[in-house]
Amino acid sequence: MAVIDHEAALARAGANVTGWWSRTLFFARRYPLGAVGAVIVAAFILTAIFADVIAPVDPTATNAKFSLARPGSMFLLGADFMGRDMFSRIVHGARISLMVGAGAMGMGVLLGIAVGLASGYLGGWVDLALQRVMDIMQSLPLLVMAIIMAAALGPSLRNTIIAIAIPLVPNVARVVRSSTLSLREQPFVEAARAVGMGELRIAVRHVLPNTLAPLIVLATAQLGSAILVEASLSFLGLGVPEPHPSWGRMLSESAAEYVRTAPWLVIWPGVAISLTVFGTNLLGDALRDLLDPRQRS
Amino acid sequence: MGAYLVRRLSLMAVTLIGMSILIFVLLRLVPGNVADILLDASGNDDPKEKARIVHDLGLDRPIAEQYWQWIDGLAHGDLGYAYVSERPAIEEIGPRIPISAKLAGLAIFFAILFGVPLGVVSAVRQNTKLDYLLRIVSLSGLSFPSFWLGLLVLMAAVQWFGKIPIYDSDAHGFVAQVKMLILPAITVGFRSSALIMRLTRSSMLEVLRQDYVRTARSKGASNTSVNYDHALRNALLPVVTVIGIEAAFLVGGLIVTETVFNIPGVARFLVEAIRWRDYPIVQNLTMLIAFIVVTMNFLVDMAYMALDPRIKYS
Amino acid sequence: MRLRMVLLAAGVAGLVAAASPSFAQKQGGTLRISHRENPPSASIHEESTISVVQPFMAVFNNLVVFDPKEKVNSPDHIVPDLAESWSWSDDKTKLTFKLHQGVKWHDGKPFTAKDVKCTFDAVAGLDEKSEILRKSPRKIWYQNLKEVTTNGDNEVTFVLGRPQSSFLSMLASGYAPIYSCHVSGREMRTKPIGTGPFKVVDFRRNEGIKLVRNPDYWKKGLPYLDAIEWKIVPNRATRMLGFQSGDFDMTFDSDVTFPLLKDVMAQRKDAVCEARPTNVNSNILVNRDSPPFNNPEVRHALVDAIDNHAFAEILSQGHDLDGAAMLPPPYGKWGMPKEMLASLPGHATDIEKSRAEGRKIMEKLGYTADKPLKIKVATRNIEIYRDPAVILIDQLKKVHIEAELEPIDSSVWYNKIAKKDYQIGMNLTGVSVDDPDVNFYENFYSKSERNYTGYNNPEVDKLIDQQSAETDLEKRKKLVWEIEKKLAEDVARPVIGHNVANTCWSPKLKGVNLQVNSIYNGWRFEDYWLDK
Repeated sequence: MAVIDHEAALARAGANVTGWWSRTLFFARRYPLGAVGAVIVAAFILTAIFADVIAPVDPTATNAKFSLARPGSMFLLGADFMGRDMFSRIVHGARISLMVGAGAMGMGVLLGIAVGLASGYLGGWVDLALQRVMDIMQSLPLLVMAIIMAAALGPSLRNTIIAIAIPLVPNVARVVRSSTLSLREQPFVEAARAVGMGELRIAVRHVLPNTLAPLIVLATAQLGSAILVEASLSFLGLGVPEPHPSWGRMLSESAAEYVRTAPWLVIWPGVAISLTVFGTNLLGDALRDLLDPRQRS
Repeated sequence: MGAYLVRRLSLMAVTLIGMSILIFVLLRLVPGNVADILLDASGNDDPKEKARIVHDLGLDRPIAEQYWQWIDGLAHGDLGYAYVSERPAIEEIGPRIPISAKLAGLAIFFAILFGVPLGVVSAVRQNTKLDYLLRIVSLSGLSFPSFWLGLLVLMAAVQWFGKIPIYDSDAHGFVAQVKMLILPAITVGFRSSALIMRLTRSSMLEVLRQDYVRTARSKGASNTSVNYDHALRNALLPVVTVIGIEAAFLVGGLIVTETVFNIPGVARFLVEAIRWRDYPIVQNLTMLIAFIVVTMNFLVDMAYMALDPRIKYS
Repeated sequence: MRLRMVLLAAGVAGLVAAASPSFAQKQGGTLRISHRENPPSASIHEESTISVVQPFMAVFNNLVVFDPKEKVNSPDHIVPDLAESWSWSDDKTKLTFKLHQGVKWHDGKPFTAKDVKCTFDAVAGLDEKSEILRKSPRKIWYQNLKEVTTNGDNEVTFVLGRPQSSFLSMLASGYAPIYSCHVSGREMRTKPIGTGPFKVVDFRRNEGIKLVRNPDYWKKGLPYLDAIEWKIVPNRATRMLGFQSGDFDMTFDSDVTFPLLKDVMAQRKDAVCEARPTNVNSNILVNRDSPPFNNPEVRHALVDAIDNHAFAEILSQGHDLDGAAMLPPPYGKWGMPKEMLASLPGHATDIEKSRAEGRKIMEKLGYTADKPLKIKVATRNIEIYRDPAVILIDQLKKVHIEAELEPIDSSVWYNKIAKKDYQIGMNLTGVSVDDPDVNFYENFYSKSERNYTGYNNPEVDKLIDQQSAETDLEKRKKLVWEIEKKLAEDVARPVIGHNVANTCWSPKLKGVNLQVNSIYNGWRFEDYWLDK
């Protein structure tokens, strides 16, 4: 496996790239869909960060007078059964989605790196044992594994993150392991070893950075699935609990009651989830094309 | 080859045994047991009654003994009794499998029906407007939560027919069944069709770049014949494998879709059983799913080996 | 209180329909009803939910029942069922029933007085080894029952520790069916056998319940229906649309909330809909043993914040009833009059004034809007619990209390409450018979298992016993009001509102008579018939 170099990828693509801005422009021109994705993801992250500023009202404030209020000048996207402003709830929902999505992805990637490095670098029985554990975890679909985990841990924001992170580990571990295996025998690693560098240091300093490209691709893809799994868990009542305005939660039991009388309760949270995941997927595709030429389409 | 098979099969066994231990232990870490649930349902909290139920179900025995009892039963084809319905677990699980299987089958059917041709078109027309459109559609298939899609379908049903279809277990006959399952199947299948479409596209593109395709073209074979005869046949190999794996992984989509459409299938039953802490149901169902996934993976590898002479296993 | 005249009018219309002459009943037909959830089991004695009583009451008979033709459950409208007659001993401690002869169980075995004894020995916990039940949530109802004796096959006597006029009312409830000695608990939970008008054919989770006519029913000529089919549909919108499009002849009891009613009526113009209390009140569990609510002042500030009308407005478009522990009049027979209610904490008519008082208390204790008291509101992780909890949290802000919702899985809810591992809990309490003994003994008596908060006031205990033994109705009512008042002042379990909801059915379904002060006691279905 070749060491993947970002600069080289750009160079191969035949671009004259200097400076941050022109690189961005180049990326946008070369991958227009990816750029759209990047914009969506950026908007999502900014919404999550500045939710307090963007949302006109407290997303948990109830008001009898506005129960099921239609979308209009007062409530941009309508109000739910308890008179809570849907727009504010969706804006704050971005925060929950980002927290769970990024949290679970980050935790999954870190654990996966640890397992993958240990597995690939130490080899032997450690590798064998860890691989079997990964096999076991991968013998259940992601959502099923997350459901069992979430049930075991109980509903809370933190537990939801853990429940989603754990099933994400094997994929990352596999990627890191296979990169590590091929890198272990590379000349520069041999060289580092020759000058007396410790194994752990070699692993972290030399091997890990070179697995970065496939990792970034994988992590972006996993951000999307983490957000989707969170939505599904919350929909099933096993994820992030009320009063946190989780998008999936908003679509659970109560939304189904209003498919007829208050469709805005069904439409908007779904649009929010879909758009966010769509954005991460677009970005992920472009990053994969850019960083991982083996899979270029 | 023989040695590979032995190794492969023994790894499968190790995985399944590991899974059985994992699910068994995890379930017992879940706060609350079935006695808590049963007493909660009746709204009283009598420690004596709780102890009696726990004892009757054998939940007070050492965990290793409980595990052995389960595995021993499994080996003899005895899945035990469901805690909540108090019927043999096999009678609870068995009749629900065909419901989910039919739904999954129909979903895969739709997925292939749309996924493969559109993927091919997308590849052949690479970088055209059509390609872009199809790529966006397929990517949205991977981005829409299937329960939301289900809710939208329900909304449409209410708009057009003024009602939401209610699953009727007494409906017999092929047409009646298809009619009942078609909407949920499309909902579940959308994601799979998107996946198949993307994979068909990329694998088709790869094949189109191969030497033998160029050769065929240089020998004067028509474009259509090259595209659809030579290339497609070779491009389909990875697609077939992904269909195999996807079929096993469809369970996630089935869980939420069966919930949205109120279909009494086995996938939704799993989530409910987890909620009721109905260990025998959860354990056996989890093992069933794990078995299907592991077997599918195995079959896919075998298919690869049979179909692609370049791959050698040692 | 916002009792709409419409509701009363609907109630009267229902009464007239039920009372109309019965010569035209038609035999046959299948009644299709939607069901909201999987009943936990089929054994009425083991469960405490309408999800079990409504479908399965038709499988059984009681000794006595509340007159199914009356709108109001009341001790003076109790009629015979399996008992032909009954009599009290002179000291009012022995209640003897003469039983109907020739009654057979669905499996053909004869019904005898022994079956009555088996049932109540098990239910009251007098026979701990009984195999016909594995749990009995209403043991507390029968704490005054010392012994059940039989005299031959057709006479049975209940021996009480002291006079208790409510005892007969409890036996008349849908929660007091007669089980047989020879059917195991497992069978009763999965495919029960009774003496009633319908037999269970099938009970499948996530699908439904099928009952068929008992051709050998001991009440000659009954029932009229051939079968009753319940379909379990957890999504309420699907249930409503199913009813609107004619897939169901009747909705589940109290399934049609007020926000949904308009749509249902618009889509199925011929539907008959009736509103009545659901016997469920939302209330707050207060942990009075640990800070901050061990301080009576904080407890008072808490109830000062509660605006019952705002709750009712959101949850039922203003139809929920404001009341104390008992179902308020005119539906309820025992609740205190409106004027008396207004003087109780938590039921103030001027909410702004009471909230100002609440704020004053909190400020005195050092809490302000910027430095609020931080607490958690625990509730079950179920929609109908979470909704009021979210409203409560919003209202508490008004008295400088900043609360966070803590949704608890049902599996650990009681454990948590019993361990006092909570500060405030949002709770729903169902009272199956509009009767002070049923309500007070279950929920507020110090020795009850269902007194979740562990409320323990010897004075209230004494009053509860006193009203229970009181035979004069008016005197008893006064005692009941005194208890209601004490409970409210003690902030024992502040009541937020008594829920009201609608039940709808097709005009082709005849013989429906919904009782207004209990949803649990009128589901025998033996005189329902379909006009088609």
